Order: sequence, then structure tokens, then C-alpha cells
Amino acid sequence: MNIERYDRLGWKNKLFDSVNIVFLLLLMLTMIIPFANVLALACSSGFASMQPDIILFPKDFSVEGFTIVWNSLNIWQPFLNSVIVTVIGTVLHVMLACIGGYVLIHPHVPGKKIMISFILVTMMIPQDAVMIPLYVVNKDLHLINTLSSLVISGLVSGFSILLMRNFFMVVPYEMAESAQIDGAGDLRIFSTMYMRLATSGLATITLFELVSRWNMLTAAILYINDSKKYTLQVALKAMILDTSSTSSNYLVTTNVRMAGILITIIPLLAVYPFVQRYFMKGIMLGANKE
Amino acid sequence: MELKSIKKHYMLYIMMVPIVGYFLLFAYYPLAKGLQISLQDYKLMGDRPYIGLTNYETVLHDPFFWQSLRNTVFIGIGILLFGFFAPLVVALSLNEVFKSWFKKMAQLVLYIPHLLSWVVVGGMWIFFLSPDSGLVNLLLKEIGIAPIHFMADEAWGRWVMIGSATWKDMGYNCILFLAGIVSINPSLYEAARMDGASRWQQARYVTIPQLMNTMKVIFLLNTLGIFRIFDQIFVMSNTAIANKVDVLMMYTFSKGILEIRIGQAAAASFFVIVFTLLLTLMTRKLTRFDEV
Repeated sequence: MNIERYDRLGWKNKLFDSVNIVFLLLLMLTMIIPFANVLALACSSGFASMQPDIILFPKDFSVEGFTIVWNSLNIWQPFLNSVIVTVIGTVLHVMLACIGGYVLIHPHVPGKKIMISFILVTMMIPQDAVMIPLYVVNKDLHLINTLSSLVISGLVSGFSILLMRNFFMVVPYEMAESAQIDGAGDLRIFSTMYMRLATSGLATITLFELVSRWNMLTAAILYINDSKKYTLQVALKAMILDTSSTSSNYLVTTNVRMAGILITIIPLLAVYPFVQRYFMKGIMLGANKE
Repeated sequence: MELKSIKKHYMLYIMMVPIVGYFLLFAYYPLAKGLQISLQDYKLMGDRPYIGLTNYETVLHDPFFWQSLRNTVFIGIGILLFGFFAPLVVALSLNEVFKSWFKKMAQLVLYIPHLLSWVVVGGMWIFFLSPDSGLVNLLLKEIGIAPIHFMADEAWGRWVMIGSATWKDMGYNCILFLAGIVSINPSLYEAARMDGASRWQQARYVTIPQLMNTMKVIFLLNTLGIFRIFDQIFVMSNTAIANKVDVLMMYTFSKGILEIRIGQAAAASFFVIVFTLLLTLMTRKLTRFDEV
């Protein structure tokens, strides 16, 4: 074995390894440099950030971008809206996914097959393709321009239900049965046994849902026109792309825009490295689904 | 027996009520409603007379619909191909790295763009591609190339969409491929090494053939995304390139929400649904074809 390893250290292999590592490093740089550039621009003064020579390091260091975007452009309001919609939506989504997943692990429930096909069909309806009728439904329910419409959007997903079911299936069903014989009801078994034993599954779908709700755009542009109800994504889009038509145009220098981008991504990037393994796990589970 | 079983599990049915209710109201009903709207002259207020298939005819006679279909197919296939092969190459190359900390770090970094919204990624790229102060043109200037107006040039528009989408989803697809590679039976590599296979030969004759199933799954999953492209174009499109990049969902959105021609938008949505279903059936057939 050792000799084999030694063989693989020949000059050809070494050369290949070096080229390979350089290739990967360059690729990683295409991911890192853009963010470093955003950071450098956000930390420069308004005037300096409009000059075409900032790449990795801020020039004329200043945090005015952040103060303008937070205080003068009041991005704290959409930020708060996003937090509300994301947290409430995620909690409800995960709860409903757990409930659905729990119901579907019971082997002898009459009508279970019908329930599963009922859920599977919803997964085949492309959500974006029904956005017009969904808009009409929300309008009929007087949900337009309310944060509730954003919480409700995608609140129950067949995908999450089936994912939670997979996590619950790992818990031996005999445990639930013996608890039943001891007189525990379904609610009790669900909340005291399954919810506690499937914590890694819970963490996985919670994280995915948090990210997708934080990034939610389609529903927010469909249902919200009132700028007081804007979420961070919509406000950011308005700020970085449609500035020419607003009166506060003079405020939006490049450093302000970049500060807006940073405020939007920092909550995600701050936690991401610590929970990365749940993401990896979730991705693989998602792929094995089909 | 059935009744007794239903009684025993009554709590489970109660638990299902909110889920079934939600799907009825926000999945099944909109689908039916969409069909109804597509057959109506739908106004937000007042009469909504049924007008047969007029909306569908209007859509089929609308040159913008066909243009957006062409854009969808071009950009969709571009993203499908680049978004498939680029991460495959990266995954194979990552697999040749022996230092596990480097491997882990690379995955950590490559996944970051996927974590962010299209508003952020699109906004960043619009800025990087801008002719005067954008990062890309600054770099091009270094090597002596004149600034390119990426976001204002019809010839570049579609490629910008394909490139940025590939960049964003690189890490995601790469992790899927790597998971497939990790699950390959190690004894296959041992046997290959016994027979004196080089690393290139191991990759060519063990890794790639063993990865076929994973590749099929990923290809299938990505195919389904073609008609769903929306956020990216909504953020990155502008009047200069709209004609070359606005996809079907953009067409539906602007018809229904901006021009308030809801009936026509609903009809266009049904074409999207039909295209998606056809594509699903087709890819399923194709990907299973080899297995039998």
C-alpha cells in the first residue's frame, strides 16, 4: 500500500495535482473576489466608490454606505418585514411538514394511499405557472398587500412533508406502537417522541426553509405594492436597479447599494459555515428523492 | 375493521385537515381557477364573460410569446448544458484532491452563491459587468480589451444569463456529483489499481461510468427547471436586452400583472404547464431508456 502511494508521487502525478489545485483555487477566487469587491465598495466613501479603481480594498474608508442605507433609505423596515415573514413562515412550514410526515409513517391508516397521491399531485403543479390564478385567489381573500400573503405562500409543501416522513421513518415504529399500548395518544407520541428524535431532520428542513423564505422574490413582487410592506429582496431590487426613477436618487451611490447587498446577505453568511453540514445533507436527500 | 381503524387513528385525520385544506385552496383550486380564467374575458371588476379559446388564440398569435419561447429554449438549454458539465468537471477535479480540508473548504466556498437570492447575485453581476466601473471590464482593460456593454448588448444578453446561472448553481450541482462519486464502491478502484490503471484511467473507466445514474438524476432535475426560470430574468433583464432574454414566465408576469390581461396570462401559463409536463415525460422516458 505504501509503495503504491509512493508510486503516485511521480512527477506526472505531482504536476497534475498542482494544476488541479491551481484550477480549483482560481475557481474559488471567482466566488470570493466578487464578495470582496462588494465589501470593499461598501466600506468606501460615496465619492470613492463611484471611481473605477476599487477591487479588493476600500478606498477612503467609511461606513456612510451602511448609515445611509439603514437610516436615510430606511431599509430597516423591509429588513424587519423580511425577518417577520421568514421566521413565522418557517416555523409554521416546518410544523405542518412534521405533522404531515408523522401522519404518513403509520402503515395501517385507511386512506393513506389517497393522501399520498393527493400530495404528490401538488408537487407536479409548477408553482410559478399558477402565479396568475394564485394572485386572483389572494386578491379574493383580501391578502394583497399584507405580510400574511407572504407567510401563506408556500406554507405547506409536499416536498417537505415527504422529507420529514423520511426522517421519521428512521425512528423504529415499534416504539410508537408500545407507547400506544401504554395509552399515549397520537399527539403525545408525535410531540414527545418523534419531534425529539428527528432533530437533525428538523434542523435540515428549517435551514432550507429559512434560506428560501429570506430569498423569496416572486410572491413578494406579486402580492405587495405598498412600500411599507416591502421585503428586503424587493427593497433591494428597487434600490439597486430602479433608482433612476426615484427622488432619493442622489443618495444611492455605489457604496450604498453594496451596503444594501451586504445587509441582505450577512444574516445568511454569518450562520452558514456553522450549519454547512445540514445543507450538504439536505441537498443529498433532495436529490435521492426522484 | 376499517371503521375501527379509522376511529383509532381519528387524531391523524384531524392533523391532516390543515394540510389538505391548504392544498385544496392554494394548489388545486388555483389550477382549476386558472383554467376558468383562461376561458374568460377576465376583468378585476364587473362582468367576466366566457369567450371560449380566444385567449389561447391571442397568445398563439402574439409574436412576443414565440420570442419568449425561443428565449426560454435557448437560455434553458444553455443553463442545462453548462450547469451540468461545469460542475461535473469541478466535482471530478475535487475528487482528485487528497487533502480533505481543502476539499471541504472548496465545497463551502463554491456553495455560497447558491445560498443567495437572484436579487443579490443578479445585482452584483449587473454591477460587475457594467462598462465603466465593473470588475469584469476593469480586468479586461488590464489585458487590453475595450470595455464591453454586456448588459446593453443583445448579443451578450443570453450568455450573461447562462453564465451567471451556471456560476450561481455550480456548488449545488457539484455537491450532488461528489455525493455520487463518494458512494462508488471503493473495491472497484482497488481492482483498477491492481491492474495498473492510472488516475486518468480510473476516472475514465471507473468514476464516470459508475456516475451515470447520478448524472441522469441531476440532468432530469435540471431539465424541469427550464420553464421555471423567472427570478433571474426579472432581476437582470432590461429594455436593451429584453427581446433576447425575457422568458415565458416573464411573458406571463408582464401580461397578467403589469398589463392586467389576466385571461391571456392564464392561457399562457397553461402552455407552460403543458410544456413542463411534456418535458418531464420526455426526459423520464429518455433517462430510463438506457436502463432497460
